[in-house]
Amino acid sequence: MDRLPPIIAIQSIAKAFPGVQALAGVSIDVLPGELHAICGENGAGKSTLMKILSGVIADYQGEMRLAGRPVRFRGTRDAEAAGISIIHQELNLVEQLSAAANIFLGREIRTWLGFRDDRAMDEAAGRLLRELECDISPRTLAGSLRIGDQQLIEIAKALSLQSDILIMDEPTSALTDAEVSRLYRVIERLRKRGVTILYISHKMDEVFHLSDRITILRDGKLVKTLVAKETNPREVTHLMVGREIEALDFGRERTAGEVLLRVENLSLPWPGHARGWRLKDVSLELRRGEVLGIAGLMGAGRTELLECLFGAASERPTGRIELLGRPVAFRHPREARDAGIGLVTEDRKRLGLFAAMNVGENISICTLRETGQAGFISRRRERNMAAATAERLAVKSAGLAAPITSLSGGNQQKCIIGRWLQTKPQVLLLDYPTRGVDVGAKAELYRLIDGLVRDGIGVILTSSELPELLTVCDRILVLAEGRLTANFARGEATEQKIMEAATQARPVL
Amino acid sequence: MTATPGQGGPRSIPFQELALVAAIVLVFVLTGVVDRNHTYFTSFQESAIIVLRNTSLLGIIALGAAVVIIAGGIDLSAGSMVAFSATTCALILVLFADPADRRLLSVGALGVFCGISGGVLAGFLVGTLHAWLVTSIKLPPFVATLATLVGLRSFARAMCEFITRERWGSAAQQININTPFFRMLKEHGVWISTGIFLLLAVATWLVLSRTVLGRHIYALGGNEQAARLSGIRTENIKWFAYCFGAMTASIAGIILMADGSVAQPVNLARGYELNAIAAAVVGGCSLQGGVGTVLGTVLGTLFLRLVIDAVSKLIKSNADVYEGMIVGIVVALAVTLTQVRQLTRSGGEFFPGIRGLAAIPTLAIAAGLLAMMSSANVELLKGRMVLFGVGVGIVTLLVLSAVKLLETQRRQTR
Repeated sequence: MDRLPPIIAIQSIAKAFPGVQALAGVSIDVLPGELHAICGENGAGKSTLMKILSGVIADYQGEMRLAGRPVRFRGTRDAEAAGISIIHQELNLVEQLSAAANIFLGREIRTWLGFRDDRAMDEAAGRLLRELECDISPRTLAGSLRIGDQQLIEIAKALSLQSDILIMDEPTSALTDAEVSRLYRVIERLRKRGVTILYISHKMDEVFHLSDRITILRDGKLVKTLVAKETNPREVTHLMVGREIEALDFGRERTAGEVLLRVENLSLPWPGHARGWRLKDVSLELRRGEVLGIAGLMGAGRTELLECLFGAASERPTGRIELLGRPVAFRHPREARDAGIGLVTEDRKRLGLFAAMNVGENISICTLRETGQAGFISRRRERNMAAATAERLAVKSAGLAAPITSLSGGNQQKCIIGRWLQTKPQVLLLDYPTRGVDVGAKAELYRLIDGLVRDGIGVILTSSELPELLTVCDRILVLAEGRLTANFARGEATEQKIMEAATQARPVL
Repeated sequence: MTATPGQGGPRSIPFQELALVAAIVLVFVLTGVVDRNHTYFTSFQESAIIVLRNTSLLGIIALGAAVVIIAGGIDLSAGSMVAFSATTCALILVLFADPADRRLLSVGALGVFCGISGGVLAGFLVGTLHAWLVTSIKLPPFVATLATLVGLRSFARAMCEFITRERWGSAAQQININTPFFRMLKEHGVWISTGIFLLLAVATWLVLSRTVLGRHIYALGGNEQAARLSGIRTENIKWFAYCFGAMTASIAGIILMADGSVAQPVNLARGYELNAIAAAVVGGCSLQGGVGTVLGTVLGTLFLRLVIDAVSKLIKSNADVYEGMIVGIVVALAVTLTQVRQLTRSGGEFFPGIRGLAAIPTLAIAAGLLAMMSSANVELLKGRMVLFGVGVGIVTLLVLSAVKLLETQRRQTR
């Protein structure tokens, strides 16, 4: 196998987004016909690399060779023409069109008169789907299919394109066990046909079950490419997280007080999904003066958990939530706010900021009523309160009248945290608050969180960055696929242990 | 930034409002000079009254449209709401009047009070219906208010025929109002409608810029999700916005009824909703929501009505003929002006690809036809109208083609 020339040679590819170096000099050789797994934490650069390979991202540094020839894709069409197809984690189907129409979208078969030949497409699609053990009719609307079948439509599309390289981005994240084993069989069959597969996943059992070789990325850099037979899951997880833990430590000599928030058997249904729940039987306790960390990979249910506690979940959760000993069931964020809970959302731009408003207005939005009487705003008091908050959090801006969009990510985040501090919360929920924030501002946010809990509030913090959780939190809970899989006290948690709990195989039912 | 750190000074007066004031002055002066009778200068008062009457009526509706738009919604039903409230008010007068009195002369103070309250209450009810359709049934605002746009007018007509048949014995399609109170309103028409308009504008300004509710309206329109997650009861804010929109239309309906001494459900205020939305957009309200001011809306309305009036002065024909066209052009230009700054900054093109190429003859033909039609009133061009139109068309074609050529070249060098 080693003597074959690589079918894909990625040579020192780099890609920077504003404020983030997503990839830095990554080189990988993919051999023809192999199943090559790409592993890494959230934000390691896996998706960026795949987007470059499939033509989604066109401007990058470095070189790529396909079967020896240098290539540079300017769009997904270029990549498809070169024989590379990608199955995204978020499927790209037109839900109102049939399975067959989706498979041939943009390359419709026509009759000699130039009309669309639906019958020929249905037949061809039917053949492809049967080959993939998918017994749906090609005329079924894509939107009415289960996710596992929708995925097979995407695979059928790749087959119809005669792709000899297939990229699969976490294909099992939404599948049932039966669908996963069917997918494994489909992958076997594809490999017999000589298709080269790049398989992105952070689930160790899958990776070791399927792959020939494993490439590990971390922080946009290549760590190592290993032969699967010569390594083990422990080594791979270690390589995925193994970085120096930052020297900062904020949790010294904090003492936890009374229980602020108690959650028992919280479940959140997920109608229409194979798994059936977003959260299942989650129980936890938050005490005054402590930072409780929630670790978990993308889709583990971190955000959903915080939304349930804040009365903002899309479905009605079941279970019991107690705030200061009293049972609560918030139906609107307003009720949670009045009860003393604040939520800083992960998606700052979409769910947090008011882009058309200035810094001061963004800080004061939750506490306008306190500034004046009878529903009127006292601009002077509003300004004074916002100015005090901005000063307390050391927001760097050109003044309260500056547009919020002119601030850096870290300072925007401080404004949103400040917004909630003005409501004098008992419990502050911080959903990955350091996302898209540079290193210096991160340390400031850690210090801020430390100060807040010392002032006597309780903080629940989620993050995709394990060192951050280890630095800031008193206890860390780990979520995997909506369930709690571990509970570590400060000192017993390591990145290795957290990662093992977060990538745990699905529980045997 | 003008403000010093730690101080939230007032917003600087935005570009849009200054531009509108300049445009209003420009149109006024230009029309005064170009118009052969110089009506704007010689008989200022008469001209002002005409423009004011139209501005205040449209402006009242535009204020409502602006609030709905700033809150991130849209209300297409305002014109039908005007007719509906006028009909409601008139029908209440009919019920209070003696059945034999078809001119409604015998309605007393109580009847007038009930009629006006009934009209405004109708607005509240329709606004509530809109809010319910949008927040609970989750209809897109466009669909919900499109339904009432079509439905309310017909509903008003049916109600009109039903009540007049029951009361008078014969169905009427319109109701003439000769009630003394409304006659009095008509005599002082301009001042009353202008007064109500200014009063409403000040009240709306107070709400939008000085109250918690107002800030929440901007927050809702700017980012609905973030507003909800900040603990704002977004559904209630929408309720207010749609009620405000429908109730301003109701008030306009009663004024319009008094002004014409008739409530005519079929034709009253047809198309007003689009003019009101246009006025708000010209005044700087963004259909994306979260952006817009009362001052801008007032100026936008004034500008729109002034241009319509100016064109009728210049072309010496009925303003109605050109009204729609003018509104269309003014809206497109006003929004284009804000886009041009973005387009040129981001290096975009006005006429990209074949699609852009196809737009050029369309614009040239429109320019040529417009030139031909407007040349009918110019002494110098009598008899050469077709030639003039074709000439303008060709010049437009050449100029736009040159722009396209430049753009293509610039892209190739990049």
